[in-house]
Amino acid sequence: MIFYIGPLILGFLLGFILGTRIKPSPESKLKFDKEVYAIVLIAAILIAYYIGPFPYYKDFAIASGFVAAIIGLIIGKLIFGREKSNKAQIS
Amino acid sequence: MSTILKLFVFPISLIIICVGINTILGGHITPGGGFQGGAMIAGGLIFCIVVYGLKESPFKLSHSFLAGMESAGALGYVLLGIAGLFFSGFYLYNLGVDIYNIVPSAVQTLFNYPDPTNTGIIPYLNYVVGIKVLVGLSAVVIAFLESDRILGENEQ
Repeated sequence: MIFYIGPLILGFLLGFILGTRIKPSPESKLKFDKEVYAIVLIAAILIAYYIGPFPYYKDFAIASGFVAAIIGLIIGKLIFGREKSNKAQIS
Repeated sequence: MSTILKLFVFPISLIIICVGINTILGGHITPGGGFQGGAMIAGGLIFCIVVYGLKESPFKLSHSFLAGMESAGALGYVLLGIAGLFFSGFYLYNLGVDIYNIVPSAVQTLFNYPDPTNTGIIPYLNYVVGIKVLVGLSAVVIAFLESDRILGENEQ
């Protein structure tokens, strides 16, 4: 299977950069746990499937840049967007 | 804002951001591109900022982050132009396509966007323009939301 690395890398990179900015708010009562991200990922894969290979590619049946972006967002959030522990804050 | 709105806006904004990124990535052969995709990403960020407020927004867009992103976008555009000037003698020459056959094949391969459309540096230009636009539009809204606090501090 041929797959094009350009949209995968660039989509992941921009998603990752924006994902690092997702951080929990101590002031907010709302918390978005991992279930929210799992549902968003499933919804994004469905949307990518209905978009189809974009733009006019014939590699995957889904929009690869779209999926790379949501994966980048989630991985960026997981790596850099976690809540700091109390120990880290004290030290 | 209502609780229902607060529950739904963040997941929807993630999807809007992905649509924006997808628009940037297809900008070289479909309607859309750097400005449109960047505006869509900024729309997702602004959606969150307006509904949750600056303090409670899940997206923490600091001044240094926005300045860094905007600088990276501008610098990327200029560097792509200067690369064209350096290798071919023309500013913003499309090194990946090389229609005049004046660039070594290694440079052409380096600057060609890896997809079957053979568009050279156009997707990269879309990308850096998208970064600049998303930062610019987000910064305008953040500045408006911060203006009350800043004006209040100045009056005191």
